[in-house]
Amino acid sequence: MPDKKGRPDHIEDALSSMHTNQWFTYTDSKNKIYANVRLTEKIGVNGELVDNPVTELPTETAVNAKLKEMQDAWDAANGG
Amino acid sequence: MALSKIDVANMVTGVTPVANGGTALSSGFTNGGGLTGSDMWRVTADFAGSVNPISSNLERCDETGFGRIGTGMTNSSGTFSFPSTGIWLVSFTAFHYTDNSADYISIKINTTTDNSTYALVAQGIAQMHPVDAFSQGTATCVLDVTDVSTCKVRFETDHADTSNKIRGNSGYNRSWFEFIRLGDT
Repeated sequence: MPDKKGRPDHIEDALSSMHTNQWFTYTDSKNKIYANVRLTEKIGVNGELVDNPVTELPTETAVNAKLKEMQDAWDAANGG
Repeated sequence: MALSKIDVANMVTGVTPVANGGTALSSGFTNGGGLTGSDMWRVTADFAGSVNPISSNLERCDETGFGRIGTGMTNSSGTFSFPSTGIWLVSFTAFHYTDNSADYISIKINTTTDNSTYALVAQGIAQMHPVDAFSQGTATCVLDVTDVSTCKVRFETDHADTSNKIRGNSGYNRSWFEFIRLGDT
Protein backbone atom coordinates (compact mmCIF):
# COMPACT_ATOMS: atom_id res chain seq x y z
CA MET A 1 0.00 0.00 0.00
CA PRO A 2 1.27 3.48 -0.63
CA ASP A 3 3.43 4.69 2.17
CA LYS A 4 2.36 7.81 4.02
CA LYS A 5 3.82 9.94 1.27
CA GLY A 6 1.74 8.13 -1.31
CA ARG A 7 4.39 6.11 -3.16
CA PRO A 8 2.95 2.74 -4.27
CA ASP A 9 4.79 -0.07 -2.51
CA HIS A 10 2.61 -3.18 -2.61
CA ILE A 11 1.00 -5.44 -5.22
CA GLU A 12 -2.38 -4.29 -3.91
CA ASP A 13 -1.66 -0.83 -5.30
CA ALA A 14 -1.23 -2.37 -8.72
CA LEU A 15 -4.17 -4.75 -8.43
CA SER A 16 -6.64 -2.05 -7.39
CA SER A 17 -5.46 0.08 -10.30
CA MET A 18 -5.90 -2.60 -12.96
CA HIS A 19 -9.69 -2.90 -12.68
CA THR A 20 -12.43 -1.17 -10.71
CA ASN A 21 -14.64 -2.67 -8.00
CA GLN A 22 -13.82 -5.52 -5.64
CA TRP A 23 -12.65 -7.90 -8.35
CA PHE A 24 -9.88 -9.59 -6.36
CA THR A 25 -9.51 -11.03 -2.91
CA TYR A 26 -6.98 -13.09 -0.97
CA THR A 27 -7.13 -16.62 0.30
CA ASP A 28 -5.36 -15.26 3.38
CA SER A 29 -6.01 -11.59 4.00
CA LYS A 30 -3.20 -11.53 6.57
CA ASN A 31 -0.67 -12.65 3.98
CA LYS A 32 -1.09 -10.47 0.92
CA ILE A 33 1.24 -12.09 -1.55
CA TYR A 34 0.57 -12.81 -5.21
CA ALA A 35 0.16 -16.55 -4.59
CA ASN A 36 -2.86 -15.78 -2.39
CA VAL A 37 -4.66 -13.50 -4.86
CA ARG A 38 -7.97 -14.84 -6.20
CA LEU A 39 -10.84 -13.50 -8.28
CA THR A 40 -14.08 -12.76 -6.44
CA GLU A 41 -17.19 -14.47 -7.77
CA LYS A 42 -19.54 -11.49 -7.44
CA ILE A 43 -19.12 -7.74 -7.27
CA GLY A 44 -21.56 -5.07 -6.08
CA VAL A 45 -22.87 -2.83 -8.87
CA ASN A 46 -25.81 -0.45 -8.52
CA GLY A 47 -27.16 -2.24 -5.50
CA GLU A 48 -26.94 -5.69 -7.05
CA LEU A 49 -24.40 -8.50 -6.93
CA VAL A 50 -23.32 -9.41 -10.45
CA ASP A 51 -20.78 -11.81 -11.87
CA ASN A 52 -17.25 -10.52 -11.73
CA PRO A 53 -16.47 -9.31 -15.28
CA VAL A 54 -12.79 -9.99 -14.66
CA THR A 55 -12.32 -13.66 -15.49
CA GLU A 56 -8.58 -14.05 -15.46
CA LEU A 57 -5.96 -13.09 -12.94
CA PRO A 58 -3.11 -10.98 -14.26
CA THR A 59 0.22 -12.73 -14.14
CA GLU A 60 2.65 -11.97 -11.37
CA THR A 61 4.94 -10.41 -13.95
CA ALA A 62 2.15 -8.11 -15.12
CA VAL A 63 1.32 -7.11 -11.55
CA ASN A 64 4.94 -6.35 -10.76
CA ALA A 65 5.31 -4.41 -13.99
CA LYS A 66 2.22 -2.35 -13.13
CA LEU A 67 3.61 -1.61 -9.68
CA LYS A 68 6.93 -0.55 -11.19
CA GLU A 69 5.12 1.68 -13.66
CA MET A 70 3.19 3.34 -10.83
CA GLN A 71 6.35 3.83 -8.78
CA ASP A 72 8.16 5.39 -11.74
CA ALA A 73 5.25 7.73 -12.37
CA TRP A 74 5.13 8.71 -8.72
CA ASP A 75 8.89 9.30 -8.60
CA ALA A 76 8.77 11.43 -11.74
CA ALA A 77 5.95 13.51 -10.31
CA ASN A 78 7.68 13.92 -6.96
CA GLY A 79 11.22 14.63 -8.02
CA GLY A 80 12.49 11.11 -7.43
CA MET B 1 -23.62 17.70 61.92
CA ALA B 2 -23.07 17.16 58.23
CA LEU B 3 -25.24 14.57 56.56
CA SER B 4 -22.92 11.84 55.22
CA LYS B 5 -25.38 9.11 54.35
CA ILE B 6 -29.06 8.84 53.33
CA ASP B 7 -31.19 5.80 54.08
CA VAL B 8 -32.42 5.50 50.49
CA ALA B 9 -34.27 2.24 50.98
CA ASN B 10 -36.50 3.69 53.67
CA MET B 11 -36.66 7.39 52.78
CA VAL B 12 -37.27 7.24 49.01
CA THR B 13 -40.50 5.98 47.50
CA GLY B 14 -40.51 3.52 44.62
CA VAL B 15 -37.94 0.88 43.76
CA THR B 16 -34.32 1.79 44.35
CA PRO B 17 -31.00 0.28 43.30
CA VAL B 18 -29.70 -2.78 45.08
CA ALA B 19 -26.53 -0.87 45.89
CA ASN B 20 -28.65 1.54 47.93
CA GLY B 21 -30.45 -1.18 49.83
CA GLY B 22 -33.40 -1.36 47.44
CA THR B 23 -34.88 -4.21 45.47
CA ALA B 24 -33.60 -3.21 42.00
CA LEU B 25 -34.64 -0.85 39.23
CA SER B 26 -36.80 -2.19 36.43
CA SER B 27 -36.47 0.71 34.00
CA GLY B 28 -34.25 3.66 33.23
CA PHE B 29 -30.77 3.00 34.55
CA THR B 30 -31.34 -0.66 35.25
CA ASN B 31 -29.13 -2.82 37.40
CA GLY B 32 -26.13 -4.06 35.44
CA GLY B 33 -27.18 -1.75 32.64
CA GLY B 34 -25.15 -0.32 29.79
CA LEU B 35 -24.80 -1.01 26.10
CA THR B 36 -25.87 -4.49 25.08
CA GLY B 37 -24.59 -4.68 21.52
CA SER B 38 -21.41 -3.55 19.77
CA ASP B 39 -19.54 -4.74 16.71
CA MET B 40 -17.02 -3.49 14.19
CA TRP B 41 -16.09 -4.66 10.69
CA ARG B 42 -13.51 -3.39 8.25
CA VAL B 43 -12.44 -3.42 4.62
CA THR B 44 -9.35 -5.61 4.21
CA ALA B 45 -8.18 -4.68 0.71
CA ASP B 46 -8.09 -1.60 -1.50
CA PHE B 47 -10.57 -1.13 -4.31
CA ALA B 48 -11.28 1.55 -6.88
CA GLY B 49 -14.42 2.99 -8.39
CA SER B 50 -18.06 3.01 -7.33
CA VAL B 51 -19.17 -0.11 -5.47
CA ASN B 52 -22.65 -0.95 -4.19
CA PRO B 53 -22.82 -2.87 -2.01
CA ILE B 54 -19.32 -3.30 -0.67
CA SER B 55 -19.51 -7.07 -0.67
CA SER B 56 -16.10 -8.67 -0.34
CA ASN B 57 -12.80 -8.25 1.43
CA LEU B 58 -14.64 -7.62 4.68
CA GLU B 59 -13.84 -9.02 8.10
CA ARG B 60 -14.81 -8.49 11.69
CA CYS B 61 -12.02 -6.54 13.36
CA ASP B 62 -9.61 -8.96 14.98
CA GLU B 63 -6.61 -6.92 16.00
CA THR B 64 -5.06 -7.43 19.41
CA GLY B 65 -7.41 -6.18 22.09
CA PHE B 66 -10.51 -6.00 19.94
CA GLY B 67 -13.77 -6.76 21.70
CA ARG B 68 -17.46 -6.74 20.97
CA ILE B 69 -20.65 -6.98 22.97
CA GLY B 70 -23.09 -9.72 22.08
CA THR B 71 -23.04 -11.98 19.07
CA GLY B 72 -22.42 -9.16 16.63
CA MET B 73 -23.54 -8.50 13.08
CA THR B 74 -23.97 -11.09 10.34
CA ASN B 75 -22.58 -10.27 6.91
CA SER B 76 -23.90 -11.93 3.77
CA SER B 77 -22.23 -10.55 0.62
CA GLY B 78 -22.33 -7.04 1.97
CA THR B 79 -25.79 -7.17 3.53
CA PHE B 80 -25.48 -6.77 7.29
CA SER B 81 -28.13 -8.18 9.63
CA PHE B 82 -28.54 -7.16 13.25
CA PRO B 83 -28.38 -9.67 16.10
CA SER B 84 -31.28 -8.08 17.97
CA THR B 85 -33.93 -5.41 17.67
CA GLY B 86 -33.26 -1.99 19.15
CA ILE B 87 -32.00 1.46 18.39
CA TRP B 88 -28.65 1.03 16.64
CA LEU B 89 -25.99 3.59 15.82
CA VAL B 90 -24.35 2.69 12.51
CA SER B 91 -21.37 4.48 11.02
CA PHE B 92 -19.09 4.04 8.03
CA THR B 93 -15.67 5.67 8.03
CA ALA B 94 -13.43 5.38 4.98
CA PHE B 95 -9.87 6.24 4.11
CA HIS B 96 -9.89 7.71 0.61
CA TYR B 97 -7.01 7.93 -1.79
CA THR B 98 -6.56 9.16 -5.34
CA ASP B 99 -3.51 9.20 -7.55
CA ASN B 100 -5.28 11.18 -10.22
CA SER B 101 -6.64 14.38 -8.61
CA ALA B 102 -10.10 13.12 -9.39
CA ASP B 103 -12.94 15.15 -7.87
CA TYR B 104 -15.06 13.65 -5.08
CA ILE B 105 -15.30 10.38 -3.19
CA SER B 106 -18.60 9.66 -1.49
CA ILE B 107 -19.53 6.96 1.01
CA LYS B 108 -23.11 5.99 1.80
CA ILE B 109 -25.17 3.92 4.21
CA ASN B 110 -28.27 2.32 2.67
CA THR B 111 -30.94 0.61 4.75
CA THR B 112 -34.05 -1.43 4.24
CA THR B 113 -37.01 -2.17 6.50
CA ASP B 114 -38.55 -4.79 4.20
CA ASN B 115 -35.42 -6.75 3.25
CA SER B 116 -35.87 -5.55 -0.32
CA THR B 117 -35.90 -1.85 -1.07
CA TYR B 118 -32.87 0.07 0.12
CA ALA B 119 -32.83 3.81 0.77
CA LEU B 120 -29.94 6.19 1.34
CA VAL B 121 -29.85 7.31 4.97
CA ALA B 122 -26.38 8.81 5.41
CA GLN B 123 -23.59 10.16 3.23
CA GLY B 124 -20.05 11.33 3.74
CA ILE B 125 -17.96 13.01 1.08
CA ALA B 126 -14.42 14.19 0.43
CA GLN B 127 -12.94 16.33 -2.31
CA MET B 128 -9.86 14.69 -3.77
CA HIS B 129 -7.33 17.29 -4.88
CA PRO B 130 -4.48 17.47 -5.67
CA VAL B 131 -2.82 14.32 -7.07
CA ASP B 132 -1.94 11.83 -4.30
CA ALA B 133 -4.66 13.24 -2.07
CA PHE B 134 -5.66 11.44 1.10
CA SER B 135 -8.80 12.08 3.05
CA GLN B 136 -11.21 10.43 5.43
CA GLY B 137 -14.99 10.64 5.48
CA THR B 138 -17.71 9.40 7.81
CA ALA B 139 -21.40 8.70 7.41
CA THR B 140 -23.52 8.00 10.50
CA CYS B 141 -27.14 7.14 11.19
CA VAL B 142 -29.32 5.87 14.02
CA LEU B 143 -31.71 3.08 13.04
CA ASP B 144 -34.81 1.69 14.72
CA VAL B 145 -34.44 -2.02 14.09
CA THR B 146 -37.89 -3.40 14.78
CA ASP B 147 -37.42 -6.72 12.97
CA VAL B 148 -34.03 -8.36 12.47
CA SER B 149 -35.28 -10.30 9.46
CA THR B 150 -36.28 -7.21 7.49
CA CYS B 151 -34.19 -4.29 8.82
CA LYS B 152 -30.74 -4.49 7.26
CA VAL B 153 -27.91 -2.25 6.15
CA ARG B 154 -25.47 -2.00 3.25
CA PHE B 155 -22.49 0.22 2.52
CA GLU B 156 -21.68 1.94 -0.76
CA THR B 157 -19.00 4.06 -2.36
CA ASP B 158 -19.84 6.53 -5.11
CA HIS B 159 -16.77 7.93 -6.81
CA ALA B 160 -16.47 10.67 -9.39
CA ASP B 161 -13.61 8.87 -11.08
CA THR B 162 -12.67 5.22 -11.38
CA SER B 163 -9.17 5.97 -10.12
CA ASN B 164 -10.48 6.98 -6.70
CA LYS B 165 -9.93 4.32 -4.08
CA ILE B 166 -11.04 3.15 -0.69
CA ARG B 167 -8.11 1.86 1.32
CA GLY B 168 -8.37 -1.37 3.25
CA ASN B 169 -6.15 -3.32 5.58
CA SER B 170 -6.50 -6.64 7.36
CA GLY B 171 -4.22 -5.75 10.24
CA TYR B 172 -5.77 -2.50 11.44
CA ASN B 173 -8.68 -0.22 10.66
CA ARG B 174 -8.40 1.99 7.61
CA SER B 175 -12.01 1.84 6.46
CA TRP B 176 -14.57 0.39 8.84
CA PHE B 177 -18.20 -0.04 9.89
CA GLU B 178 -19.35 0.42 13.49
CA PHE B 179 -22.55 -0.91 15.04
CA ILE B 180 -23.58 0.07 18.56
CA ARG B 181 -26.90 -0.81 20.17
CA LEU B 182 -28.03 2.25 22.10
CA GLY B 183 -31.23 0.88 23.60
CA ASP B 184 -34.53 -0.83 23.09
CA THR B 185 -36.71 -0.09 20.10
